[in-house]
Amino acid sequence: MPTLDIDKIKQEVVDSQIWRAVFRGGVWSDTPRDRQAHISGNVWLHLHPAKVRPRALKWTYTWGLGGLSFALFLLLALSGVLLMFYYRPVPGLAFRDIKDLTYAVSMGRFLRNLHRWAAQAMVVAVIAHMVRVFLTGAYKRPREFNWSVGVLLLTLTLFLSFTGYLLPWDQLAFWAVTVGTNMAGATPLLGNSGPFSGLLGMHVNNDLRFVMLGGTSVGANTLLRFYVLHTIAVPLLVGILLILHFWRVRKDSFSAAPYQANEAKVDVWPNLVKREYIAAVALVIFIMFWAITKSAPLETIADPNVTMNPEKAPWYFAGLQEMLVYFDPWLAGVLVPNLIIVGLMAVPFIDTNPKGVGYYAWKERPFAITMFLLGVVMWFSLMAMGVFFRGPNYAWYWPWESWWTFKAAPPPTWNVFGPHGQAVLPLALGVPVLGGLFLAAMLLPKLIQRDLNGWKVLGGVLLATAALGAVGAGMGKFTGTQVGFLLFFAGMTTWFGFVMPQRHIRRLDWARYLVTMALVVSTMGILLKMGARLCFNIKYVMTVPVVSMNI
Amino acid sequence: MSEPKMVQPPARFPTRPAAGTMTRGDFLWMGWSALAAFFAAGAAAGARYIFPNVIYEPSQIFNAGPAKDYDMGVSMKWLNTHRIWIIRIPTGIYAMWARCTHLGCTPNWFPDQDRFKCPCHGSNYTLAGDVIAGPAPIPLWRAKITLASTGDLIVDKGVLADQPPKRSQAPFFLTNSELGLS
Repeated sequence: MPTLDIDKIKQEVVDSQIWRAVFRGGVWSDTPRDRQAHISGNVWLHLHPAKVRPRALKWTYTWGLGGLSFALFLLLALSGVLLMFYYRPVPGLAFRDIKDLTYAVSMGRFLRNLHRWAAQAMVVAVIAHMVRVFLTGAYKRPREFNWSVGVLLLTLTLFLSFTGYLLPWDQLAFWAVTVGTNMAGATPLLGNSGPFSGLLGMHVNNDLRFVMLGGTSVGANTLLRFYVLHTIAVPLLVGILLILHFWRVRKDSFSAAPYQANEAKVDVWPNLVKREYIAAVALVIFIMFWAITKSAPLETIADPNVTMNPEKAPWYFAGLQEMLVYFDPWLAGVLVPNLIIVGLMAVPFIDTNPKGVGYYAWKERPFAITMFLLGVVMWFSLMAMGVFFRGPNYAWYWPWESWWTFKAAPPPTWNVFGPHGQAVLPLALGVPVLGGLFLAAMLLPKLIQRDLNGWKVLGGVLLATAALGAVGAGMGKFTGTQVGFLLFFAGMTTWFGFVMPQRHIRRLDWARYLVTMALVVSTMGILLKMGARLCFNIKYVMTVPVVSMNI
Repeated sequence: MSEPKMVQPPARFPTRPAAGTMTRGDFLWMGWSALAAFFAAGAAAGARYIFPNVIYEPSQIFNAGPAKDYDMGVSMKWLNTHRIWIIRIPTGIYAMWARCTHLGCTPNWFPDQDRFKCPCHGSNYTLAGDVIAGPAPIPLWRAKITLASTGDLIVDKGVLADQPPKRSQAPFFLTNSELGLS
């Protein structure tokens, strides 16, 4: 009776012409040469270098966030393609198809949940990846360009979430996209309701919003456009940028971790590939568990006439929604997001500090890290306000308050410069005052070329504010809450807008200094305007209705 | 040994081409310019392509029935079909477009507080449509109303006004006498 000789069969299979045509290389004997050939001879693996420095493998350094983001992208591509088999992007059918996917198609609900949760996880992973790269200074020379590509990829990740949001054609989808595209309509010059849009003759049927919608309101053309963007155009662009991103990572020696003397490199196969695959498998299991236990939300079918109350954006856009309460759409919806994107891309070019590349260096980069984290904390605070502190009519509800609680109507708001309909006063008075304040905030930290005691400056400002508040309260103009808010915002803007820049960046060259300060002053402006609205009911600091310009 | 004679090299290229002759540089300029023009025209054509010429959207005009059917206050009769409030006040009637001028959500009417409140970013409007709180930049739009020969109100959302005095007179506000109401 012949015995089954597994080794012999294996040998014959591996040595066959077919196997050798597909997988090159001789008999695997796990030599360093084999391992390197496995990386460089494999189209999938060859985005890795053959060898890598052991410091790049430490999981407490990278947290594997870039790789996890890519794993989620692949998972989203796969689940997305599968969902496309049952989905028709037409207003009468789209919602029914999603219902069918949820209730009638085998595995349909699981796939939709998987797609939704993986998308949210990808937003988290990409943001966390950016924070990690910032904190380890890994964007510094020669990696400036790759950081910029990364910022674009983060933007596109959010745009994919936004375009995907419309496809279920439920109430949430419809109104989120109505609001989002109306923001495009508020773009300066290019949107029909934006500042100076009259100069280019913009109307509701020829502006930026019209192109996004493919019409004058969210309808069949919009759904088709968003479908094409979501399933083809943007993923293709993301794919191209990913290839560029990975290729640059590989060319830039894979890790910014500093060299150590006599550092011996280790083989990528299996040391790095093993870790990547384990992390990806753990992640997929986690997302699958999540998709099995929790269903993706689906509201009632889109009704173009009635909005839900309250209408809340998904959490990652809740910060934007909250900011829209305090600023005109052209500022909160167009200028600030673009400033954030461009400002992030500019970071490697304005941060000249050579220290702290490739490790967490809080003490060596106090200004960069403080300012970046301030931005991140502000963004997530805005999100938290939108998600947890807003109720019906988008009024302020504490998380422990019932939404049935009666809320008094909000008090009337007022404008500092420019009563409605009069354009001369704001221009004659507002422009010099606001321009002067802006210039002072921009220039003072650099013009005072000596070491100030930051604590004394802060103390002085707080004392002056407290005195002002006490006088105001004595005259019955301010309440205690308003004085508290005043102290908070005065302290924040003094410390982050003046003391920190004066201490750390006053020796920068003018070009870099001005770009940095423009970002710092904008951030402080957001804080100040929020404070002005929340405690003094100030609607606009300046308004020029003739050109739809409100600040 | 005779002294070496200076030999003038033959002029292979004329220093200046004859008028009307194309040089290599000219040719390259022309070629690259043509290519750039081709791509620019392609981009412009692509941009034009995504602006639709014909759109299929519901009509902005509808018949809101006879004026005498409306009681004092805000009528929700056409909200779910045409996104319009017909508002009757002691002096007359106007039709307000139920679209927040901030970012386009539909506000809700709260008669107890005399306010329209938007659920998206918290804009508040008075019965007349003026903004009193929240981020909306301009008042709510009023739509054109005309009186048909049958006595029905014809509302046209394609013609709008938001500021006085325009919004306070015909066709954006019809008085009781214009409507034949007592």
